[in-house]
Amino acid sequence: MSRNMKPSPLLWGATALGAAGVLATYATAGHERFWANWVLWFVLMLTLGLGALFIVALEHLVNAKWSVPVRRIPERIATLLLPAIPIGLIALCALPVLYPGTRPEAAQHPILAGKAFWLSVPFFSVRTLIALGLSTLGLAVLVGGSLKQDASKDPGFNLRARKFAPAFMAIFAIVITLIAFDWISGLTPEWYSDIFGVYIFAGAFLSGLAATALALLYLQDQGRLEGVRGDHLFNLGGFLFAFTVFWSYIGFAQYMLMWYANMPDEVIYYKVRLAGSWRAITMSLAFLHFILPFFALVTRDSKKDPKRLRLVACLMLFAHVLDMYWLIFPALGGAPRFSWPELSFALFFLGGILLWLRGAMQKGEDMPIGDPFLREGLEFRL
Amino acid sequence: MPETSYAVLGLFNTPDALMQAIPKVRASKLGTVEAYTPYPIHGIDEALGLRRSPLGGMVLVMGVLGAITAFGFEYWISAIDYPIITGGKAASSWEAFIPIMFEVTVLFATFTAGLGMLLLLNKLPFFGHPVLSSKSITGITRDRYALALEAENDAFDSAAAARALQEAGAVEVEILPAPDRSPFLTSDYIMRTLGGIFAACLVSGLAMYFATKWFPLLPPMKYIQDQPRLNAQKASTFFKDGHGMQPPVPGTVARGYLPTATGTQEQAASLLNPLPRTKAVFAMGHKVYVNRCEVCHGALANGLGSLTAAYGGKPANLQSQQFRDYPDGKLYWAIVNGKNAMPSHAPYLTEQERWAVVHYVRALQRAQNAKDEDLKVVAP
Repeated sequence: MSRNMKPSPLLWGATALGAAGVLATYATAGHERFWANWVLWFVLMLTLGLGALFIVALEHLVNAKWSVPVRRIPERIATLLLPAIPIGLIALCALPVLYPGTRPEAAQHPILAGKAFWLSVPFFSVRTLIALGLSTLGLAVLVGGSLKQDASKDPGFNLRARKFAPAFMAIFAIVITLIAFDWISGLTPEWYSDIFGVYIFAGAFLSGLAATALALLYLQDQGRLEGVRGDHLFNLGGFLFAFTVFWSYIGFAQYMLMWYANMPDEVIYYKVRLAGSWRAITMSLAFLHFILPFFALVTRDSKKDPKRLRLVACLMLFAHVLDMYWLIFPALGGAPRFSWPELSFALFFLGGILLWLRGAMQKGEDMPIGDPFLREGLEFRL
Repeated sequence: MPETSYAVLGLFNTPDALMQAIPKVRASKLGTVEAYTPYPIHGIDEALGLRRSPLGGMVLVMGVLGAITAFGFEYWISAIDYPIITGGKAASSWEAFIPIMFEVTVLFATFTAGLGMLLLLNKLPFFGHPVLSSKSITGITRDRYALALEAENDAFDSAAAARALQEAGAVEVEILPAPDRSPFLTSDYIMRTLGGIFAACLVSGLAMYFATKWFPLLPPMKYIQDQPRLNAQKASTFFKDGHGMQPPVPGTVARGYLPTATGTQEQAASLLNPLPRTKAVFAMGHKVYVNRCEVCHGALANGLGSLTAAYGGKPANLQSQQFRDYPDGKLYWAIVNGKNAMPSHAPYLTEQERWAVVHYVRALQRAQNAKDEDLKVVAP
């Protein structure tokens, strides 16, 4: 059942314009800035794809029925992990430019010397390849199997996915921790936080949920996904609500312990982010990532109100971009930079992601029609 | 009929029959319509016209109130009433308040949810809901679907209600008597409750006592005992000199205690008092003078303090011409370094307090030697 969506010259135009800006950035704005932007969007694509894949795996893990009718949406968003592979391979070129641990001086540094092997370019690259490979494996089993089930109607897939899901949770934990520690925390290798992987997981899951809610509402506007009701929206909204609190809980716990202990090697991370214009970004992050969505979703009706949910989902995706920007860009030093290079990267990658998702949304069925639990999921009521 | 019944129950064999009966029974307007079913039936809330419970709003309001209360308490205690600097953090550090604000928010919210549900919305306490002691309850928990017309006031007509339920298709009708609402806080009940609490405390206290006595401490709790520390009457090997407390690094200066009055008193004569003559400064100077100076120098700074007579000492009469002509710097030097029998007050007076008390001594001197033009300043 393929749908004839109109080709979007606007989207292609914006992406092409962005691509031109990306090339111009490389030529004129300095390599550091180019690679910081590249890493930012690589991490964003990866967290979005992994967050979506986590939703799919979570459904199989706990044998959830309500989410079966909407499962195809996170499955399609999770396919972003495929274009993330070449982008990640290109991002490896950023290692000598941005990551102090990969430079030869690191061997003389009293703290980094002991971590030199772990931070070196070859082992860093191997870990990234492992992370990308493991996430592709998860994608192949969970999403690939689900697509095949549409034609085969084989209920055995549910059993296999159920068995694979616990293993995937372990894989997911390894992958997201590697990404968080290597690509984000690796920018300041002297600094470390045990909880950092969990913090990135919270952001990733939130971005996956927000993208799922947004795509669901978009498809419903197109008259698709018949049978998905406010009850399903309510559960998605409830997850969004809960995980804004989880994100802030983890984020604040990390901040408070470092603030209290006041150890120079730890607290420098926040000192940089609370100085000058970065302070304003830190404050707006707390407001946009927690306070605003918390009060926007606190009432029962707001969790299934499509208008409200659409706004909050857009807000959460924006807040996630801001969060990653806030984590990565201070590594460039100085005040926050936002100008045409950042805009071009946003145009190029957002355009690319939307084009990819548009393509994914046109292929195949909107619901996993081969899943034996689809009917039970459609009948779900609160 | 003064003693009215609690409700009339009508039993139905299928959920569909129940759903069809609801609008008819509601239309009779004889009382509050309530349904009892063995499992949740979708759409029954809408059919019964149940209003959204106000509990969510109550919980939100009380939660926010809890957060504000906790913040208010913490701010008042640690920034206003008793400010102590710990760990080099400002007294009003909001970061440290957050965990307690979170806990109190949860406390207020859960208490509101629990007590609000039980007392306000479920109208407890009464022992045993009438439906639970009805004959129909075995069916309701198994395969029957019950609709109840509950009395709203004394004018409730059970016979009419029973008829309305039968007309709506109820296969069986049962009239429930009003529940026993006699006061339950009798002396017997209170004594038994207190006895129960006492017995629980005794049992758990004894269990804890013997548990800690008989069973060994296991890691990680054991590490509390094993950590390096100074035990009373024991030698410590933690530091080389065997002391538990170490003196600060040579040259360490506490905040606000900068030693500025070095050299001789004559060299200090040129120091200027950096503090303005404000009400707050005089108040600080007064406090320091009363606490530290008055016992010897006297309330009027004339050298006749309460200790002077008892010990026969001869503290300086600050009202004498010699000290009235003293520059501020020389008074300050004496406070910091001490003079004759007077010890140095530097260890416990901050830089601000030392200069404030100099201002205060000047005020005392002027008060005892007022000139005519001073009166004009005070005149309204």
